[in-house]
Amino acid sequence: MPKLTIDGREVEVAARTNLIEAARAAGIAIPYFCYHPYMTVVGQCRICMVEIEGQPRLALGCATSATDGMVVKAETSERAKEAREAVMEFLLANHPLDCPVCDQAGECLLQDHSMREQRGTFTSHMAETRRTFPGYERRLLGPHIVQNQNRCIHCSRCIRFTSEISETAALTYKSRGNSMFIDTFSGEAFDDPMSACAADVCPVGALTVREFRFRKRAWKLRSTPSICPGCSIGCNIFIDHHEREVHRFTPRENPAINATWLCDYGRFLADSLNEQTYLYPQHRKAGRLVRAGWSEALAALALEVRAARPLRVVASANLSNEALFLARELFGHHLRGDLVVPVTTGEQRRMKNGRGEWLQATDPYPNSLGARRLGLNVVDGDGLSRFLYGGSGLTLILDAEAHPFLAGAEALQLLRVGATAVWLRREHPLAGVAGWLLPAASLASDEGTFTASTGAVQHFAAAFSPPGTVRRMPTGAMSPECPTIASPWGPPGEARPLWLVLTALARELGASNLDLASPAEVFTLMARTERAFAGLEWEPLGGLQRDESLRERQHVG
Amino acid sequence: MESVLLRARGVSDSRSIATYLAAGGYEGWKKALGVGPDAVVKEVLDSELRGRGGAGFPTGRKWSFVPKDHPGPRYLICNADESEPGTFKDREIIEHDPHQVIEGIAIASFAIKANTAYIYIRGEFVRWAKILEKAIAEARAQGLLGTNVLSSGFDLDIWVHRGAGAYICGEETALIESLEGKRGFPRLKPPFPAVVGAFGKPTVVNNVETLACVPHIMTRGATWFASIGRPRNTGPKLFCVSGHVNRPGVYELPLGVTFREIIEEHCGGIKGGRKLKAFFPGGSSAPIMTAEEVDVRADFDACAEAHTMLGSGGVIVLDDSVDMVNVADNIAHFYAHESCGQCTPCREGSDWCADILDRIAAGHGRSADPDTLLRICRFSSEGMTICPLGDAYALPISSMVNKFRADFERRIAGASPLPPKKLPVLPWTGPRPGFGI
Repeated sequence: MPKLTIDGREVEVAARTNLIEAARAAGIAIPYFCYHPYMTVVGQCRICMVEIEGQPRLALGCATSATDGMVVKAETSERAKEAREAVMEFLLANHPLDCPVCDQAGECLLQDHSMREQRGTFTSHMAETRRTFPGYERRLLGPHIVQNQNRCIHCSRCIRFTSEISETAALTYKSRGNSMFIDTFSGEAFDDPMSACAADVCPVGALTVREFRFRKRAWKLRSTPSICPGCSIGCNIFIDHHEREVHRFTPRENPAINATWLCDYGRFLADSLNEQTYLYPQHRKAGRLVRAGWSEALAALALEVRAARPLRVVASANLSNEALFLARELFGHHLRGDLVVPVTTGEQRRMKNGRGEWLQATDPYPNSLGARRLGLNVVDGDGLSRFLYGGSGLTLILDAEAHPFLAGAEALQLLRVGATAVWLRREHPLAGVAGWLLPAASLASDEGTFTASTGAVQHFAAAFSPPGTVRRMPTGAMSPECPTIASPWGPPGEARPLWLVLTALARELGASNLDLASPAEVFTLMARTERAFAGLEWEPLGGLQRDESLRERQHVG
Repeated sequence: MESVLLRARGVSDSRSIATYLAAGGYEGWKKALGVGPDAVVKEVLDSELRGRGGAGFPTGRKWSFVPKDHPGPRYLICNADESEPGTFKDREIIEHDPHQVIEGIAIASFAIKANTAYIYIRGEFVRWAKILEKAIAEARAQGLLGTNVLSSGFDLDIWVHRGAGAYICGEETALIESLEGKRGFPRLKPPFPAVVGAFGKPTVVNNVETLACVPHIMTRGATWFASIGRPRNTGPKLFCVSGHVNRPGVYELPLGVTFREIIEEHCGGIKGGRKLKAFFPGGSSAPIMTAEEVDVRADFDACAEAHTMLGSGGVIVLDDSVDMVNVADNIAHFYAHESCGQCTPCREGSDWCADILDRIAAGHGRSADPDTLLRICRFSSEGMTICPLGDAYALPISSMVNKFRADFERRIAGASPLPPKKLPVLPWTGPRPGFGI
């Protein structure tokens, strides 16, 4: 464990830590553009120059390992400062000053460094015509990536990403020297399964994500730590949102699962979180759906579930551990109903963790391991069909998207026999058979934990409360019937996360032990009673949080 | 001085192995196999042979950096990527005496216990690549290469690998990358090639001329070699003289002769009776020297003392008809074209220098230009870049600006301002949609 001094601050770091990371541990930010902690060090940008006592030349922060007794001067060194200024002048010699129209502005390392260190005092000696790449200013490099080669600072991060992380070696430099540009090796479209990460690692606006371009300025976004709902790998993400609209997912660092990467499939699920077709609880009266309030709905549902013989509940591996636990306790134990979790297999997804190992999944649900660990009855499509067969009584479907079988004609026929209550968010065939149609909230307004395929229990936070939520008062009073606030920043609606509805239903049903105020309380109860969650605490769950993640855009959110 | 490296020049059929063997060829190789690797390294260390490629690093020390106990293969690479402007000595050696190089490679490979050696030859050297391939085939046919060479139990294969025409691939780590089939980007050091080189294995990269010296050291001894030249700068050296001299060409002279002797005695003075203005002592990447510095000795240490370098020994002589702005412009363009583009100062700086010098040469210089050039050069050299190409363009250009500032200022004084850029005037076609007019 070498102990070194950086700008007068002593810090002890693990062996072979480089000076950038050592300085980060000491709370000093050495600037960098080409360095990335999960990729090889190339030392190309030369901005991380530091002065080391006893060495005649400046050293690279990225390529120099910390050694015991080293005395480093980063921000306090005049020589290093001069060198950094010169490197900035070189980089800005040909970099277009189009920040006002550049979509990377606000999360651009070059801009950040310029604003931080040069504070607007920068003057360039450059009086020549800038190098440009005519025809490469807004080129579609692949289905998700837009390239503006004029802005490229040749850090090679995107190239290293494709060669070392996604292993497709799709991108390369072409030409040489100052006319070098980024292109796919074959000249074909850049359709890597993780292609948008190339735009993530791009420190400037040379590569931007087509889907997100010009949707929202980076500084307006707030980032909420969450978990990707795309598959069971459980990549850690930030939900970047503004005014109750989800704009994108960005990877959140977690060395054990997704390092700082995210696959395109998961990333572009972000838009689907904004879909909210059903906004109010509705009840079928004489064949027509009629709007109802939550209190009316809950009271009626409480009566129905208590009377139901049999009570059948289709839960879902898309639900959080908390919602599954509440459903099991309430419907399974308290009401003696039957409960299944239907699962299916999906396309194979892959993710590379911080140790360079591939994680694979064909399980398209974020929480099927959680359902298994809660001891729930996990069934496939056939099992679900048998479960629904021949049922009068009441069937609760906690998530209409739990299984593709539910959207099929067979399921609709089976469900027509009895009464059905369905939670759903988007357009779905089940809406046609539901007696009660309850609006479900998206992941962005839910809170809870998912158990990833690696066994990690990971927390996701609510990016925004569903429109018009009335939070529970300290007195315990909570009215799920919310006043419809004409929200200026979201669609009016009463979609509620399932945990909230289930705790309110528990109160209606007199199950006072389940009348809990937050997912944290549910989790605490779960940790006390469930072996799978024993010893876990709510607070530190999940990967790195906002201020710890290698998000080079710390000021976002 | 007797000819050592170029002794075969002028001999008929000098390239054939028969001629080489008749002149005592491959004796050094046989001797080396007899005494063992450690003795070879010691002999070369004692001879104080320094690398002839440009940096002048002691060859024996370079060999001794290879880890002794490294399991698995290690490689020797002969750097024949002679691309430095004003340098044409390796080509001359291969042209007249390829076996000298092959023998040097064999001895060096034996010294570092490498069973595979590569000759990385410049892509344009098609003829010389063929010469080397023929020489290797001849040596192999004589049992001097291949498996169990001369019943010593030592195996050696030599392969000729042609480059694709990039100057940067003469830098040893870029050469290794190129040899591995990758883009010729210099590597970040450390680790040095002696530890992690070609294919991740310990590798020594030596210049053709360096390796050509090795057989002579083995046959005639380190003491003989060290007696040529001056202390710490021993042995014969090929000087490639080009430019405004009466007899340009390759001259084999002991290290430590003065540049005056090279230019005036051996090359017959300046062409057309003009006066010497300046000269590059060792290829275009060495800082330029003025006519007053012509008495500096042509060896590694004396050149370093004079703030320049012997480099590859490519002496480019410029007479007083030359305008230094044009020289700088020419050189800047070469390096801007050859910069690999990997690291910022060299990629941006070399092109920027070329642009400024173009503008001065076109008669639109500004008074701030020389200082801007010096600033660019200062921050492109002295460890600011991954490889020495930054220094290679920055040091000559800054030396030209410093030593011949009058040339630059004369151009700038007579300069006209750059004509203002004309913006295209679009014809008025009435109100445009979308602007609410």
